[in-house]
Amino acid sequence: MLLPWEYGVRNLARRPMRTALTLVALATVVMLVFVVVGFIRGLEQSLAVSGDDNVVLVYSVNSEENIENSSIAPGSASLLAASLDSAVKRYGVLHVSPELFLGTRVKTGDGEGGLGLVRGVSLTAPLVRRSVKLVEGNWPGDGEVIVGRLVAAKLGSSPDAMAIGNSIDFEGKQWRIRGRFTAGGAAYESEIWCTLSDFQTTTKRQDISLVAMLLSPTSSSAEVELFCKERTDLELRSIRETDYYAMLQQHYKPVRMLAWLVVVLVSGAGIFAGLNMMYGAVAGRIREIAMLQAIGYRRRAILISLVQEGVLLAAASSLLSGVIALTLLNGMAVRFTMGAFTLRIDSVAILIGCGVGLLLGVLGALPPAFKALRAEVATSLKAV
Amino acid sequence: MKMFFRLGLLSALLLTIGCGPTNVATKNNDVGMQTNSKYVSTTEPKGAIPVGEAREVIADGQEVTLVGLIGGSSKPFVDGLAAFTIVDPKVPYCADEEGCPTPWDYCCQTDAVKQNIATIKVVDEAGKLVEGNAKELLNVKELSTVVIQGKAKRDDLGNLTVAASKVYVQPGK
Repeated sequence: MLLPWEYGVRNLARRPMRTALTLVALATVVMLVFVVVGFIRGLEQSLAVSGDDNVVLVYSVNSEENIENSSIAPGSASLLAASLDSAVKRYGVLHVSPELFLGTRVKTGDGEGGLGLVRGVSLTAPLVRRSVKLVEGNWPGDGEVIVGRLVAAKLGSSPDAMAIGNSIDFEGKQWRIRGRFTAGGAAYESEIWCTLSDFQTTTKRQDISLVAMLLSPTSSSAEVELFCKERTDLELRSIRETDYYAMLQQHYKPVRMLAWLVVVLVSGAGIFAGLNMMYGAVAGRIREIAMLQAIGYRRRAILISLVQEGVLLAAASSLLSGVIALTLLNGMAVRFTMGAFTLRIDSVAILIGCGVGLLLGVLGALPPAFKALRAEVATSLKAV
Repeated sequence: MKMFFRLGLLSALLLTIGCGPTNVATKNNDVGMQTNSKYVSTTEPKGAIPVGEAREVIADGQEVTLVGLIGGSSKPFVDGLAAFTIVDPKVPYCADEEGCPTPWDYCCQTDAVKQNIATIKVVDEAGKLVEGNAKELLNVKELSTVVIQGKAKRDDLGNLTVAASKVYVQPGK
């Protein structure tokens, strides 16, 4: 015969202070798991949505994996467009985007600033970067920029500093913010965009970093790759945009592995904290447990009741942490080397966080319960 | 309990052996041999000239037989098309002892590669580029030595592309 369900529930209320402290301890552990898993999921998501299967990037063969270091001839875009029929052409406009991309020191109006990512683009850029949406303001003119929604996080400044009409400084010039854009969580959201010609003039450069091409449905990236191989004099290489971001995913693999290790370590520490709490909780109830055995409850029933208490407490703390994580953590911007991304408390993060929480409840309750049940009933009844 | 401990230890040992990187060098003696591709020649053509020399003497549209090693970049094969780049055998690449993961990119000889590289496109009877991957089609891999027979395409900038009708793959490498 099992102990009544209410017995375990009422037991939690009998010692409100101990229960509250255990709840806070478990909730903190689960919250830490949410933060780390949210970080990993956010990083993965940012890189996963950044690539477009139909977009090919053409950049310098000498820059290997870093497009920021790439430098190619300014005429590469028109040369590619003239040599290949691969790019989409609508209403006479070829979807080929020449871009100058670099990391540079950016200072905001409030005096703060940091390393920002600036992309000089032409009017064809939004045709190729299809996830980019201008949500406020207008396309930039000379001396103007549009900023992604995560630029403030990337620069470590306040979001107000990125308001339309404010100014930012980079490359020795003051730029007025003309508009704001989003990109569905893609890496561009931490970038500042200005016109290519203006950026080239300011940086005293004539070259560009890359050419992005939107391929037509009948074309393949292999055609662009073959062109780059045949024209060895141009020293170009091409890569599908999704492959480029997959390459970055590999680049950040050690970070992700380390983050998962943190999840395991935090969970391990949480289990030990839970064990400590439950040992204390059970140690004060030795006479009660012995009394339950004396009136006829089997050890298994008492064990289940103790685990029920642990799981109830852990489930409550998981729910509490889940609500806080979803309302406060989800979508929080995080600055990272390649830009910025948002913490993502998605279904996977919820599953892992709550799973760890429930595991804490079960594993934390089992050892002290076993210990208490192993003792002699007669001895335990006399325990002080 | 002891039995469980021993079993656990044995499993861990097996996992370690099973998942670890192998130190056994992969021999490549069967390169080019195990393929029925009609583009692979079973006999080595005579009079092949190295890529560097071909870039100097071969004219546009001329029939050519040239020899080279597949490489020139970290990804010498074009995905989805039977095309790849070859480099003159005289250009040295990183020795095995140097531990370079991609010796076929000639990373220490980039200047030399520029003057000693050619692009190979495997074409069918109609002169159309064959679709698929050259690796599987010809059973070759990076640094395989190949002898190419085909028609040269030159431009004013010195680039050399060969529309190959037959490829002979030297055994061993």
